[in-house]
Amino acid sequence: MKLGDHTITPTKIICVGTNYMDHIKETGLEIPKEPVLFPKTMNCLILNNEPIIYPKFLYNNRKLNRVDYEVELAFIIKERCKNVLLNEAYDNILGYTVFNDVTARKMQVKDIVSKLPWFRSKSFDSFAPIGPRIAEIAEIDDPHNLNIELKVNGKIKQSSNTKYLLFKIPELLEYITKLFTLEAGDIIATGTPAGIGPIHPGDKIEASIEKIGTLTNKVIMEGD
Amino acid sequence: MLSIKIGEDIIYPTKIVCLGRNYLKHIKETNAATPKEPVFFVKTLNTLVTDGNPIVYPNILYNSQEYNRVDHEVELAFIISKTCKNILVENAYDYILGYSVFLDITARKMQIRDRNIKLPWYRSKNFDTFSPIGPRIVPTSEIEDPHNLDLQLEINGEIRQQSNTKLMLFKIPKILEYLSKFVTFVAGDIIATGTPSGIGAIQPGDVIKASIEKIGHISHGVLLEKVK
Repeated sequence: MKLGDHTITPTKIICVGTNYMDHIKETGLEIPKEPVLFPKTMNCLILNNEPIIYPKFLYNNRKLNRVDYEVELAFIIKERCKNVLLNEAYDNILGYTVFNDVTARKMQVKDIVSKLPWFRSKSFDSFAPIGPRIAEIAEIDDPHNLNIELKVNGKIKQSSNTKYLLFKIPELLEYITKLFTLEAGDIIATGTPAGIGPIHPGDKIEASIEKIGTLTNKVIMEGD
Repeated sequence: MLSIKIGEDIIYPTKIVCLGRNYLKHIKETNAATPKEPVFFVKTLNTLVTDGNPIVYPNILYNSQEYNRVDHEVELAFIISKTCKNILVENAYDYILGYSVFLDITARKMQIRDRNIKLPWYRSKNFDTFSPIGPRIVPTSEIEDPHNLDLQLEINGEIRQQSNTKLMLFKIPKILEYLSKFVTFVAGDIIATGTPSGIGAIQPGDVIKASIEKIGHISHGVLLEKVK
């Protein structure tokens, strides 16, 4: 897939849940001692200006009809790595991009309460917009001091700064690669700040991170 | 794209989707509730190993009293033949390339801990080498009824799991109909259909042999991870 001037071939997307204190407070979840990880599958990925497809069977079901945006800073792995140490972390990162972890919220809450996997609510087609480009690590002095924002139809819904990340990028990479081997192109999304809320067919979603750019996606109804 | 050679076939999977809780006796042994809809989770591609290659027992699990249990789970897997979405039960087999033996290796104590505090079932399932698959892909035309196959798992020659795919709660066409409502599948994607009862621990030094009638068996030694 082509992100700006870079072409990447990801084999996995790993997302970090509950990684901003303000978002932890709004969801009532516990402060994690270790990063909370879950995957999204490749069918989720779409690029800047491609539509987010609202699944019809969620829309038509009162128990499931809520789909949320979640703006996140993502980083892309440069080469295969395992057991990366904190002080080597940035050697293994190609760069940064904007990521929207679109989530079927009512379905996720139902699954969490029943202690089921967080999978189906996170992995519908088009539920992982990414882009508009990869800012290489040399371009960004400090990835933990970037304003991050999301607008729906021009109205600001999420506004925070990556300095509020609970687990920072080097800690995340050290932790994740203790568990798994990562490959070039793999995508790690670092979690969302407070202000999550629903999207609807017809909405225009603009997710921005300072020094990277804006990722814009319209929401359409499945089949339209 | 990642390629993997299973028998004579080279496939390019983009995801592995696994069913949990699909055999009643296994549901009872894990004290889980019987699901009304299929319960599924994903494994990432770093987990795949083919027949004969070792299962690596992670050091951070082995050396932790909290996490030192890793289990075998033998399963029937099917491989997708072409891109598909919103498949109906009656057309399901048109989108299946064939069947294979799959082992869903699971860090059990870690899974139970994560589940109890309502965390995702992810890290416990996704260590490198935790998805042995093989020894070949048997085309759908070779197996008249995939829901009447004996499946078995042996550790060091002793039988630990023994069942038949007729005891699956959700059958293959229903599974594909249900899953493809959520996600688009592409050629090479792997779906594992759940494990029967008899799950138990593996240890470094063990030899694990998983077999399914009409498909064959895969054999894997268990190695303790070497720390650099």
